Amino acid sequence: MLAEALVEEVLQRARMGGADYAELYVERWRRRALRVLSGEVKEATSGIEYGAGLRLFYGTEVVYAYTNDLSPESLLEVTETLVKLKGSAGQVDAGGQGGLDFRKAVAQGLHAPQIPFTAKDKRYRLERIREAEAGAQVGPQIKQVQTNLMEWDQEVLVATSAGTWAEDRRVRTRLYVTAIAQDESGMQTGVVGPGLSMGLELFDRYPPAEVGRKAGLQALTNLRAKPAPAGTMPVVIGNGFGGVIFHEALGHLLETTSVAKKASVLSDKLGQKVASECVTYIDDGTTSHGWGSQEFDDEGQPTERTVLIENGVLKSYMVDRLGSLLTGYRPTGSGRRQDYTFAPTSRMRNTFIAPGTTPKEKLFEGIEYGLYAADMGGGQVRPGSGEYNFGVKEGYIIRHGRIEEPVRGAMLVGKGPESIMRIVAVSDDLETGAGMCGSLSGSLPVEVGQPHLLISEIVVGGQA
Amino acid sequence: MTFEQARDYLLQKARAMGVDAEVLATHTRELTVQAHGGRVEEITQATQGGVGVRVVVGGKTGYAYTEERTLEALDWVLAEAHENALLQSEGGGFLPEGGELGQHDLLGEGLSAPLEQKRQAALDVEAGLRADPRMRQVQMTRYSENETQAALGSTRGVWGAYRNGYSALMAYAVMGQGQSLKQSFELDVSKEFHALDPGRTAQEFIRKTGRLLGARPLKTGRYRAYFEPKAFGPLLAMMGMYMLSAKNVLEGKSLLANKIGQKIASDIFTLVDDPTLPGGLASRPFDAEGTPARRTVLIEKGVLRTFAHNSETARKMGVENSGHASRSYKGVLGIAPTNLFVEPGRGVELDDGIVITDLMGLHAGANPISGEFSLQALGLRVEGGEMAYPVENFTVAGNFLELLTHITALGTELEWNPMMGIVGTPMVEVDELSFAGA
Repeated sequence: MLAEALVEEVLQRARMGGADYAELYVERWRRRALRVLSGEVKEATSGIEYGAGLRLFYGTEVVYAYTNDLSPESLLEVTETLVKLKGSAGQVDAGGQGGLDFRKAVAQGLHAPQIPFTAKDKRYRLERIREAEAGAQVGPQIKQVQTNLMEWDQEVLVATSAGTWAEDRRVRTRLYVTAIAQDESGMQTGVVGPGLSMGLELFDRYPPAEVGRKAGLQALTNLRAKPAPAGTMPVVIGNGFGGVIFHEALGHLLETTSVAKKASVLSDKLGQKVASECVTYIDDGTTSHGWGSQEFDDEGQPTERTVLIENGVLKSYMVDRLGSLLTGYRPTGSGRRQDYTFAPTSRMRNTFIAPGTTPKEKLFEGIEYGLYAADMGGGQVRPGSGEYNFGVKEGYIIRHGRIEEPVRGAMLVGKGPESIMRIVAVSDDLETGAGMCGSLSGSLPVEVGQPHLLISEIVVGGQA
Repeated sequence: MTFEQARDYLLQKARAMGVDAEVLATHTRELTVQAHGGRVEEITQATQGGVGVRVVVGGKTGYAYTEERTLEALDWVLAEAHENALLQSEGGGFLPEGGELGQHDLLGEGLSAPLEQKRQAALDVEAGLRADPRMRQVQMTRYSENETQAALGSTRGVWGAYRNGYSALMAYAVMGQGQSLKQSFELDVSKEFHALDPGRTAQEFIRKTGRLLGARPLKTGRYRAYFEPKAFGPLLAMMGMYMLSAKNVLEGKSLLANKIGQKIASDIFTLVDDPTLPGGLASRPFDAEGTPARRTVLIEKGVLRTFAHNSETARKMGVENSGHASRSYKGVLGIAPTNLFVEPGRGVELDDGIVITDLMGLHAGANPISGEFSLQALGLRVEGGEMAYPVENFTVAGNFLELLTHITALGTELEWNPMMGIVGTPMVEVDELSFAGA
């Protein structure tokens, strides 16, 4: 995307100005978004995003600049400005002299699309969306169906003064269906939004009619659901997107962004038991076509499969370059950013609880009264206190070991380490789901996942 | 090529193609200084901009944008927007007629302090926080500033530009007392760098977070709720504005459809949006379609007066356009409030209930379509008119429209909150809500 000579000059000038490490990140996105509401195209949009971010390290102090003027004059001016910001202009660091010998690494296309961004016309997309809409019409109470189709094609180059040169291409597609059901009792929603690192062949993995049907059924379930009960009780969390609970309660506490500053309740706990023995927690950036997969992270490091917790014992954190400098932990290819407007930090990729051995049915046995959180919405955590919350999109009462009437509007809240210790059984039916995770370095595609699992007690927020 | 040149090129080319087009070009400069451990750990300096186009062909609307300013990219933008428009089956799209709106400067010299003072401000917030012995971790403190120039033009005659911006101080830290830990943030925003006060930001953080230490579980039950502005503002912005957006009303997603002129809230509740507020953080001379700014009373003494409109929704509903069009260069035509506020009341007298200081998990636990919310909260138990002790690990739940009718008192002072839009509210007392805890 940029001439090697220009990249080299930028990095060299930064080094000459006293930085001990310089990293240039360049990207070009093409995006498409289509929103269709009950048969009508409401908005269709296409865009090009294009920019560069330059990050200079002075020990563990960082200066960062970004621009979307990528002309040589602009990039060199940005470099000078950064060097001046640090107050080190005029200094000449001998380390910056001599040529850079880039070790070029280009993505192998492990997650490459079969149907690329430019293939198929827009009418084809519209037809497939109409299948999702038709699928959602599961009852006369379904009043509106909104379908969003998002397509991203991102080309990335990361080059550093240490000789890294990594080129990656990330194609992602997501179909997102919201069904709205209404009767005299009110208006309720059902939402299903699969996404993967691939092109329009997403429609083969997740047939739009089936995605729509699930959203429609969920809206109907919520319409006949009573408000959720309130109080502390046992909860069985469904597989797939249910994994969002551990994304919040556990994942964020294991990013060096908080760990390095001792701002996580799980800092300095390597080798210690931090979760119940039935918990093995993995963050994998290499899952084939995973929504959060990429061949290189946004610092130019190859991604990897990182075992974070094994049988309840903390094995690794998620480590970016700055986190590694601050803590001494080995980088795990976890440096990610939304786009060039953010400096990278340590972030999750595809994170899941590994399957256990308890059959799903056994989880419900022995529960006199509890909640089955079959599908989850998003959540949030404060790593410093471990307090987290997440919303239940589809829930049912468990009575005498049986799944009974649906309830809506439940929110589960707790403190991370406590509820992880209270996971008493994990089933064998691992599934994953796509989500967007917002944090310091922006909003990123991540996968969350888990098998069905049982938490012995947790606060359920509903109607008292 | 500058963004203004890109705008002019796109308009000229659209005219030549015989299509209507509206071009929004923005250019932003940002600076952030982040402190940690008594030193500046990160400085970010940035410029960013782009052009976004809305094209209308035979009543059909399409969008496209680019940050790359080559002729090739600009041509692609027009071709894609045109193709996107043709996907619509429904007509009725149009660009509003407009005129010369002038060049406005809403920022002035507000950010013109030297970098050294800005670095010092970030360091001073941290020093202020660390002065309290209960401070366990300061994750970071940050000074940030933003200066944005927006230029709008259309083939229908709209032409105008303005410059706006802000400066902000943020604190993000953990306080502790024994085993009890509380993490929070404090954000102060101003158009004037010199109006920011690092000592005040640190003190406010300490006051608001320190009082939550040693929190106890809350017993499940129904209690009177006293929402502090920091808790009520984001809930109002998310639920209320969603329902008041005429776009959501027309798309069948608002519970307030068909309720104009009806009583939907307590008699003491008046909700206003005012883009003309002098010095308002969200003030602007015209909206994203070039409709001049004016004050709108959305809810007056509990009665729903109007929805927030853009030209498209106003025409469809046959009412006057309130000038609430919003769009970024990357986005599509939408509706957004500016300086949204609840008129203060006669004061709240604490009696018995829960003061809610923070609400968390709005994106997961509040559904603006159903109006239902169940949210993690932090707060203080009030007994016999006194703040008795802090409480934690509980949720507060209800229906937002029911909540509005159950407002029994409003505080006398308006506090502006910049977390989710720019929302001003006083303290809000609700006679009874459902709390889930131990």
